[in-house]
Amino acid sequence: MLSLKNISKHYNVGGNKTFVLNKIDLDVDAGEFISIMGPSGSGKSTLLNIIGLLDEPSEGYHYFLGEAIHNLKEKQRSALYKSNIGFVFQAYHLIDELTVYENIETPLIYQDVKSSERKALVADILDRFQIVGKKDLFPAQLSGGQQQLVGIARALITKPKLLLADEPTGNLNSKQGEDIMELFRKLNKEDGVTIIQVTHSEKNAEFGSRIINLLDGKIDSSRNI
Amino acid sequence: MIRNYFKTAYRSLKKNKGFTAINVLGLSVGLATCLLIVFYVVDELSYDRYNTKADSIYRITETARLNGNEQVFAGSEKPLLYATKDLPEFEKQARFIPVNTLFLSAQKFRIKKGNNDIQEKNIVYTDSRIFDIFTLPAIGGKPALDEPHTAVITQSTAQKYFNTNDVVGKTLTINDTSFYKITAVIKDVPTQSHFNYDFFLSYSSIPESTRGGWGYGGVHNYVMLKPGANIKKLESEMQAIAYKHYPESMHTNGNYLTYTLTPLLDIHLHSIAQYELMEKGSIQYVYIFSVIAIFILLIACVNFMNLATARSSNRAREVGVRKVLGSARKYLILQFLTESVLVTLVSTVIAVLLAWLLMPFFNQLAVKHLAFTLSSMLWLIPSLLLIVVVIGFLAGSYPAFFLSAFQPIEVLKGKLSTGFRGSFLRSFLVVFQFSISIFLIIGTLVIYNQLKFIHNKNLGFNRDQVLIIKNTAVLGNQAKILKQEIKQMSGVLSATMSTYLPTGEDRNVTGLFPALPIDIKQDVLSDFWPVDEDYINTLGIKLIAGRNFSPRMASDSSGLIVNEAFVKRFGFKDPLNKTVYRFSFGLQAFHIVGVMKDFNFSSLRDQIKPVALVYNEDRGSVTARVSTANLSGLIAQIENKWKNFSPNQQFSYSFMDEDFDATYRAEQRIGTLFISFSTLAILIACLGLFGLAAYAAEQRTKEIGIRKVLGASVSTIVNMLSMDFIRLVFIAIIIASPLAWYAMNRWLQDFAYRTNIQWWVLAAAGCMAVLIAFATISFQSIRAALANPVTSLRNE
Repeated sequence: MLSLKNISKHYNVGGNKTFVLNKIDLDVDAGEFISIMGPSGSGKSTLLNIIGLLDEPSEGYHYFLGEAIHNLKEKQRSALYKSNIGFVFQAYHLIDELTVYENIETPLIYQDVKSSERKALVADILDRFQIVGKKDLFPAQLSGGQQQLVGIARALITKPKLLLADEPTGNLNSKQGEDIMELFRKLNKEDGVTIIQVTHSEKNAEFGSRIINLLDGKIDSSRNI
Repeated sequence: MIRNYFKTAYRSLKKNKGFTAINVLGLSVGLATCLLIVFYVVDELSYDRYNTKADSIYRITETARLNGNEQVFAGSEKPLLYATKDLPEFEKQARFIPVNTLFLSAQKFRIKKGNNDIQEKNIVYTDSRIFDIFTLPAIGGKPALDEPHTAVITQSTAQKYFNTNDVVGKTLTINDTSFYKITAVIKDVPTQSHFNYDFFLSYSSIPESTRGGWGYGGVHNYVMLKPGANIKKLESEMQAIAYKHYPESMHTNGNYLTYTLTPLLDIHLHSIAQYELMEKGSIQYVYIFSVIAIFILLIACVNFMNLATARSSNRAREVGVRKVLGSARKYLILQFLTESVLVTLVSTVIAVLLAWLLMPFFNQLAVKHLAFTLSSMLWLIPSLLLIVVVIGFLAGSYPAFFLSAFQPIEVLKGKLSTGFRGSFLRSFLVVFQFSISIFLIIGTLVIYNQLKFIHNKNLGFNRDQVLIIKNTAVLGNQAKILKQEIKQMSGVLSATMSTYLPTGEDRNVTGLFPALPIDIKQDVLSDFWPVDEDYINTLGIKLIAGRNFSPRMASDSSGLIVNEAFVKRFGFKDPLNKTVYRFSFGLQAFHIVGVMKDFNFSSLRDQIKPVALVYNEDRGSVTARVSTANLSGLIAQIENKWKNFSPNQQFSYSFMDEDFDATYRAEQRIGTLFISFSTLAILIACLGLFGLAAYAAEQRTKEIGIRKVLGASVSTIVNMLSMDFIRLVFIAIIIASPLAWYAMNRWLQDFAYRTNIQWWVLAAAGCMAVLIAFATISFQSIRAALANPVTSLRNE
């Protein structure tokens, strides 16, 4: 489903090239659940952002669902992104002015989904995540775990093939974190969503099917579980 | 989609109540002020447009240069219309003969209502043709003024005198002895007209209509032109016709007479002619106020933009999230524009309400009769909608394009929030705003100073504690007795009898010649006022040579007391006992017995003109210098006397200092308006600065926290936060001061007597701006500086 060839990302600092990512090769098959680990500054988030089309590599080849991303125009890339990728953040990043319901609905609006259809989809996912009772609350009225749940629901509402999560449990306590990981596993197993997560926690990484260790912008090791 | 935008916009605005309040308040106050000014300007520009054929109506304006003196008059010669009636381009002709040009008939009018007489001023002589030119529709009868002793009156006059509109055929009694039959009642003359008459009397009623030739001017002549008439050609044809009737000296030796066809619609704002029928407007003030309106609107818009941009860091995360959720940039731009259009819409609605509420006060201030009417709605509503869209887009565009360009990853990591502080555009806008404010402060100070200068200027006479009893001419011979009795009253220092006063409207100008035989080239136009021996004493005018009139000197009846300007104009080295000649009702010789110091008797916009006082009886009014605490008692006493002499005549009086101030009422009015508007502009600018300072402080919460932990005192932090803005205000001072100095100097040039712009005015304006800015900012700065660093650091 996803293939990175020779991907590098570097910045020029005072005339020196500083590599954040250095010649990464990575293939991800549909249905995988990958955990990316590594110390701070090893390039985990940058890699995730490149995969999520939020950032562009300095060089290298990037294929996603059979499309050569590096050759696509901004518009096509955005279209591909909208319908196939969902993002979950460590800090949830819900829109404070919108209710739970409206937050989840927003991506559908950007995909020009009809109002009646939106209603059905959002109702469905609220039900599935058991947060129907919270649908009219604002993010500030929710606990961290609940907020992240909404964040995941929002990421999944467009039925993406790939779910990207940047330290989804980083701001949560261990119980809440475990619940989220259980949810990820279920999504991966039952719904066949491909998941790539960045995490610091060895325990959370174990939920996945493969663990990739990054060190100084290079893949240090990769092992299947 | 749009619903989603409105919802987000509404909630975001609600969440930031303070910000929204500042934005809406600033914008609505700005818009309301603009609206009022627009009403004022539209009113000024709509003069005489009520005439259906306004575009083809012209007034004949006359420019005369005689003896090196060029003057422009709104009136022209009486025979001119008849002499030019065969010019094929003239479709219609008509004229007004203002009462102040009458030389055989009374210039004051008392009209009988029951047993009482009422003084009326808005009276004019004319003939039927006037109703063919101006659109003055009759509501009863058919306007006819060709027969002697016929009148046309307005509806409100009909109501005033007869309590009904149905007065055709009834008779008006004027000055006890003249009777005018009413032939028609017309609708009131619209306020926006260059004349304002209630009574139109037939010119054929008075002897002047059959007398006088080309020498008699002051008639306001109007023509309606046929389409495509060549105006330049007509003007020179009229000149040629006039020259046929004048002696050659009128158009040789540098003397000339020209006629200009002044478009009716230009009379109110553009006329430079003297003796217009009503107080003129001034296109200069229309421009000034329009510019102020634009300034205020700009300041309000700048506020809006500035605050929205300043707040962008708070919105940046939302932008990032929306982008990650798949929003295209155009949706974000649309979202922010929706938000700003929404705020503008709300502000506009509030502004209209505000303007509506303030209209009566504004009318009082500007002496106007502005109102929200159905017809004004016709242009108001579409233009307001346009304004909403334009301002909404203008104010929202920068934040919209600026915010929507964020890179989501960077924003979500919180990288951008430090980048906004030194936004160049924002600094530029603050400088711009404050430059305008400082400009207006300087303008206000200069206008205020000039008005104070006029008020306090030594006019050469003493106008305090001077009581004027008006219209004493109606008492006939008894006027003099009244004067003598007033003089005897306790509390009265002295009293004099004369129509002509330094503060009055009555003027009498005559030509005087220095030698015989009379040579028209040596003519000096001089005010020529009949007064008594108490005049100089009562008014506190200083004699600098010679003596006052004396009843014991028989030769004084041909004596003159003249002012310094008079002496200068004649070029006399030793003016006393010099003889000058007047040619009117035969040749008269006068000798100068005294010279008085110059005193102002017209607007301080003009230089002092020559005046000669002549020792003669004139019963126009009695003027008394009083010195008493019990003024009302004194006035009652005088009124009592008046009633003894003439129980049916209206008793009226005024105080000279008030009459003087009335001369400058137009200036005072403009000054007050200007001061109010600039105060508002400054307020709005401060509102914006207040908001900006709040956000600056908010954004630097963490920095402030760290600095405090490191040991910074409150005052250093307040200084640090304020200095950013104060620096901008200083730049604004440097930009605005020279511009304001230049502009206000030009305004002052219109006054013959004026103050100079002192350096302290500029300094004061600068200090004021800095103080205002500092006070506005420090509130926020102090709050930020006092905050506990622990909380601010933990929140990060």
